[in-house]
Amino acid sequence: MSLVVFVVVAFGFAGTAVALRGRARAVTSVGLVGLGAAVVAAAAIEPDQVVVVGDAGLATTDYLRLFLVLGSAVGLGLAVAGLAGGTRRDAPAMTLAILGAVALTIGLVDARVAVIVATAGGLFGVLVTLLPNGARAGATVGIRETRAVVVAGALSIAATAWFGRDLSELVAQPVVFGLAYLAFAVAVAMRFGAIPFHLWAARLTDVVPETSLPILTALAPASLAIVALAWVDASVAPLPVDLGPERAVVIAIAVASIVLAALAAFVQDDIEHVLGYSIVGDAGVIVLALAALDPEAWAPARTWILAFIVARAAFAAWTAGIRAGFWTGRVADLRGWALRSPLLAAAFILVAVASVGLPGLAAFDARTSLVDLALDPPLAPVVLLATLAPIAYYGRLMAIGLRRPDRALEPVDAWRPHVVAPDVTAFRRWVFNTWDLNRAFSTATIAALLGLLALATSAGAFGVGEAAAGPPPVVPASDESAASIASRDLPPLGSEAP
Amino acid sequence: MNPALAGVALAVVIGAVVAASARNARTAIFGLVVTMVGAPLLADPAAAPIGLAARLVGAVLAGYLLWIAARGHNVRTAGSRVGWPTEVFLAAAAAAVGYGSHGLGAPAGGPVLAAAAGFALAALAVMPVVTGHDILRVGLGLGLLLGGALLVRTSLAGTPDQLEQVLTAGLVATLGGAVAILAAAARADGPGGFEMSASTPHRSSHGSDAHPARPR
Repeated sequence: MSLVVFVVVAFGFAGTAVALRGRARAVTSVGLVGLGAAVVAAAAIEPDQVVVVGDAGLATTDYLRLFLVLGSAVGLGLAVAGLAGGTRRDAPAMTLAILGAVALTIGLVDARVAVIVATAGGLFGVLVTLLPNGARAGATVGIRETRAVVVAGALSIAATAWFGRDLSELVAQPVVFGLAYLAFAVAVAMRFGAIPFHLWAARLTDVVPETSLPILTALAPASLAIVALAWVDASVAPLPVDLGPERAVVIAIAVASIVLAALAAFVQDDIEHVLGYSIVGDAGVIVLALAALDPEAWAPARTWILAFIVARAAFAAWTAGIRAGFWTGRVADLRGWALRSPLLAAAFILVAVASVGLPGLAAFDARTSLVDLALDPPLAPVVLLATLAPIAYYGRLMAIGLRRPDRALEPVDAWRPHVVAPDVTAFRRWVFNTWDLNRAFSTATIAALLGLLALATSAGAFGVGEAAAGPPPVVPASDESAASIASRDLPPLGSEAP
Repeated sequence: MNPALAGVALAVVIGAVVAASARNARTAIFGLVVTMVGAPLLADPAAAPIGLAARLVGAVLAGYLLWIAARGHNVRTAGSRVGWPTEVFLAAAAAAVGYGSHGLGAPAGGPVLAAAAGFALAALAVMPVVTGHDILRVGLGLGLLLGGALLVRTSLAGTPDQLEQVLTAGLVATLGGAVAILAAAARADGPGGFEMSASTPHRSSHGSDAHPARPR
């Protein structure tokens, strides 16, 4: 089946790259070829295929295919941007392993199994936390990330197991349903580093290359969020139980992330932290979708997830472009960046428009729908306004970019392509020299391309809306068991325990 | 009550107490391996052979990777701050809670002993996970927490099928590998063993080890 091919390609190349990690160039080649193969394998996935294993199995959908195509494409783009701007040799392998885990997570029909794979996928990120200089500091950040992933995994395993059985003879108080729902929602929030679970994610930006950050804190957790959305729709939303207090907690986490992360991104001194907090802020909208408890939130939430991943990846590529072109990430040192690199300025505008959106764009409408579904007036318009807060940090970065540079910086033409005459007597050296000369141009070009991809995704291109509205993966033979946790099995509320 | 399952549950909890309290790194790792090997056996009906074999391989692989990270003579980890007798009482109390609340409000699909052992493991994991300042100790705590969650899952929803067992084995091995990589990296970075760093890495170094570019 086509999904199995993708998984084999992703894990196969990831394993090969890790096995060759002593040879930097070989690792890079294997990683890039693997990511290219992953794009092809993802595009070749055929929807509505099923592999039955026992009572469960794997199934493909249009959404899974689109998610993997976009995920693999941004993974490849970020890997090349990292190659030009500086990264870890394990980054492509880590991206491939996470893509393999994400494919399984979204393709598995049983949420109890999917959360296990999602947890394993989150652990692959430790590969890029190890610093060449300062291994202890990197390992400390890595174990904190591992802690967040495993605690979230334990919560989601317990929550899905509690619902994943025959509940027709229920003796529990309704509050237990709320606790299971809250546990899974908190697990998703922890994986995204949502506020107040953000400390590990903030430290992660200190050690992880900017081009790996969206893979770790956006792509990998997004697969768990997709499982959570399907689980909430099938198991929690139909319940005739008042989940008011639990919903209030989830909404508080979401709103805190949306507002405070935007504020934190605005005041940060370096662009990697701006990137990190921008991911947290946009992830708050996904957490908000879990609080909607309405099947109407299904399509907008999944639309937003796709736009979120691609837009954050494009922003990461822009960050790498700034590093490669200006050799600094300090915001205060970036005066005039937009004047000195029009290509990066174009990429930045694309990213900002794709992220903040405009009425009529699919992502903008999806975010508006989620806020309306999750919140009632007068809070809804206030939070809707707060989702536009990223304008502040994008505006700050652009304002600095449009200022006159405060010192003479050379070279001023780093963003342009540089071609030197080929040397047929030393062709290999010529290739490497040309690559070295064009590092800044390469990252800026990739940032612009990913910005275009982000804008297209945000606008609803590639059939985003139709794919997002499609059903979750289902194995026909196990329909009964997969859906047995819905409310039809529950006794009326208030009935005495048997 | 099935006496064989009771014996396995006892071994799982004793292994967890050792993992949570031992100061010798390899002794603590051995305790975790006992726990991880015993956990998939705590199911009724027993897991299918392929799934069970995968779980055992995953547990041994995770333990082996941690074992490598702790190689050397008398390598120390932080161990329990409150001592093993306190950990035993904590595990016993948590096991009693798990035993008494089996099913958590609905008929359970798995054995009550899995719930008791799962609660004991989760309780033993709290101290190292929350207060640990030692990478190996936090990692051992995370192993216990994951083991506890998987046991609670078995007690609630019954014996996992083969696909879930195989994927769970992958998760256990991945966790072991991740902790081993981090622990080995910390140990290789000067004196201090598995201690966490008190300082934040300096971002400006960029930490590129793949294709370092020459600064202009």
